[in-house]
Amino acid sequence: MKFDILIAGVGGQGVVLASRLLATAAIDAGYHVATAETIGMAQREGSVTSHVRIGDEVCGSLIPAGNADLIIGLEPAEAARNIHFLKKDGSIVVNEHAVIPSASANNAEYIPEQVIEFLKKNCQETINVDFTQLAKEAGTYRAANVAMLAAAAGADLLPFNPDELWSVLEKMVPEKYRELNRKAFDMSLEKVACIKDPEQQEQVQVMDI
Amino acid sequence: MTAKRILMGNEAIAFGAMKAGLQVASGYPGTPSTEVMETIASHASKYGIYAEWATNEKVALETAVGAAYSGANTLVTMKQVGLNVASDPLMSLSYIGVKGSLVILVSDDPGPHSSQTEQDTRAFGHFSNIPVLDPSTPQEAYDMAKLAFKLSHEMEIPVILRTTTRVSHGCADVVTEDIEQAGRDIEGYVKEPRWTIFPKLTAQRHPWLEDLQIRISDRFSDLFSENTFNSISKGNSKIGIASSGVSSLYTNEATNKQSGTFSHFKLATVHPFPEKAALEFLNDITDLIVIEELDPYLEEQFLQLIGRYHLDVNVYGKKNGHFPVSGEYDVDVVIEGVNSSLQAMNAEIPLLTHSTPVVARENIPALPVRPPTFCAGCMHRTVFYAFKKAAAKLKKENGKGTVFSGDIGCYTLGNAQPLNMVDTCLCMGAGISMAAGLSHTQQYQDGNYAKQVAFIGDSTFFHSGIAAMISAVYNNADITLAVLDNRTTAMTGHQPHPGIGLTAMGNPTKAIDIAEVLRSCGVDLVETIEADDLGECIETAKMAIEYEGPSAVVFKGKCVGITKATGQYVIDEEKCTGCNFCVSQLGCPAIFSMSSGVPQIQDNCTGCSLCAQVCPSDAITLREVLQ
Repeated sequence: MKFDILIAGVGGQGVVLASRLLATAAIDAGYHVATAETIGMAQREGSVTSHVRIGDEVCGSLIPAGNADLIIGLEPAEAARNIHFLKKDGSIVVNEHAVIPSASANNAEYIPEQVIEFLKKNCQETINVDFTQLAKEAGTYRAANVAMLAAAAGADLLPFNPDELWSVLEKMVPEKYRELNRKAFDMSLEKVACIKDPEQQEQVQVMDI
Repeated sequence: MTAKRILMGNEAIAFGAMKAGLQVASGYPGTPSTEVMETIASHASKYGIYAEWATNEKVALETAVGAAYSGANTLVTMKQVGLNVASDPLMSLSYIGVKGSLVILVSDDPGPHSSQTEQDTRAFGHFSNIPVLDPSTPQEAYDMAKLAFKLSHEMEIPVILRTTTRVSHGCADVVTEDIEQAGRDIEGYVKEPRWTIFPKLTAQRHPWLEDLQIRISDRFSDLFSENTFNSISKGNSKIGIASSGVSSLYTNEATNKQSGTFSHFKLATVHPFPEKAALEFLNDITDLIVIEELDPYLEEQFLQLIGRYHLDVNVYGKKNGHFPVSGEYDVDVVIEGVNSSLQAMNAEIPLLTHSTPVVARENIPALPVRPPTFCAGCMHRTVFYAFKKAAAKLKKENGKGTVFSGDIGCYTLGNAQPLNMVDTCLCMGAGISMAAGLSHTQQYQDGNYAKQVAFIGDSTFFHSGIAAMISAVYNNADITLAVLDNRTTAMTGHQPHPGIGLTAMGNPTKAIDIAEVLRSCGVDLVETIEADDLGECIETAKMAIEYEGPSAVVFKGKCVGITKATGQYVIDEEKCTGCNFCVSQLGCPAIFSMSSGVPQIQDNCTGCSLCAQVCPSDAITLREVLQ
């Protein structure tokens, strides 16, 4: 078994924490794991990635191009920036909420919707939700990373299930933030279930009314 | 009892050291080495260890040396650039050796991700005659930390445990053992002439040191049959691969579809080079591919050996252009290098293949770039902007320009647009000395060129700023020093330093006041102000620059990485004139503007108010006070 996950985002979004959570869940599930994380200067509002490699063999922590089974993009452009890591039948879970760089970087206009379209065009199994908005509804935008992990687990895109993932979160998230994260986690699971099964989505919408 | 748990390579090294009986540890933070000391400091009381952050790497090494002379098991931690600072005591120490044990953890940074150089510590081991161990995984890092202490004790010589970013900052499942309370019993310092370096002693010890290299080389050759760090696997061709560190893992993965083809010499005890084992490996080989990041260290060792023994082996590596001489390696780089080598040797072996991505890198459409910059709300932005404004005023008033010398830390990012406030940056503490040097040039002395301003952080000030400032004052350099005191060592992850009043182990201690130090260094004008009022910062900066003779301002503020946001600002669409001043002047990552419409402030705003202070139309106001 070999399962490679690339997590991409912007410094401060919780990329490193997300990779630690996945790595711990992988160990608890009995696998070897190796991660590579961005720490230090690049974190200051720069692009950050974490590589998480789960599997039987001990190997280097950097995922070769075209090898990732899953990309978790905490930000649309950061997911796109790393799409060359994705393998042919890989999946993407991407946050629709864009972090727009300060205009001082002389960037051309960044249109997140176009980036999401690019991702969907190149990867059939793309789950795109505004996880930041979802996390805000749960209590804080900072829980977007946890919501995205829940979405990946809920959509069966990880080598462990949502319960196994939550039991790791429960251990690693400080008690005062636990309830809030549980809420973001559950809301995300529900959201993904709706996406996977549109009938259920309709029912939810009806209930909303 | 053993346990399997997820550990970062640096944590694994800390646990290995504690398992080996570590008693005294000293270091200076530096990415990617920092977490070793952090982990030890957080467990120190439990296991009866003393751990500290020293003011710099030279001090850290000398502290550990003192403890080791008393027979203690000691560890020093630093990054590769830090080893340059510690190189003076290191070069002498190798002649003298140690009692107890002394392990020097040095983390190299191929890439480089967060360093000024891509230097290779294996070369430093070679230069200083000190053994170097080069683990490839967090598990090996744990095991080799223990080996390093054992070797140091047996051979009475310091041992360098050298890691690279992917070992230091990678996490993996690591099998660790229970740690016993470190024995507090040491022999104690015994007066002997051997502890005082002197030309006569150096002459006596040099033959011992050279002989030791041969003994350790033989010992390392033996390690090929004793453990798994060093290993030789036989392939069914006459092509061999030699590798060390994390490159060994890339090699395994790159060749795994043809794993039976190549013989593999995997080396973790890199210096002194285990010649006997290498010779044996070369017996069955006609072509050798050397795969290593940074310097061609192994390649040169093999070339020497092949030359000395007149062996008929071709070597493919960096020196003949098959592998890159700089930058970080990965599986794809290794595949390219092996294929290039195979083509050069006309081998009848299929080339290695890359995986096919859904989109090739070159086909990804243009995306917004995100150069690293100050965090939203960072105090440094206010100070740099204040100096920019003050310098502009002075230029207008008297025509004199200003040169800004930067330094190493978060504030190196003062070079980013639109601030563009770092004209020179070399190494820790150099901003002050370079400003002094610039001030002594003829152009400057003619009085019509430029004023000199140096920026330095609080931790860096203690590291190597003080001596530089003393020299500047003593030599009548007309410079202005801005100390960016955000009350922590921010770039490496918020370690305490002598200005904080807290030790690495969390005990209260005397806080050293930077302004007082500056006064006692002879700086006549020393101001201390809070870095939150832009107008006051500009006035103070201007006054300090205008002052004739050395002057200094200590700007106090808090690192937003360890403090809570005080609120969030919002732009009033009615009042905003669309001048874009907030965006174009500050480069705050919380503010962005679309081509149409007013700028917007994002969630990462911490409420520093700088944008509100620069807005000419009072359109930026506090939205809410966070709980």
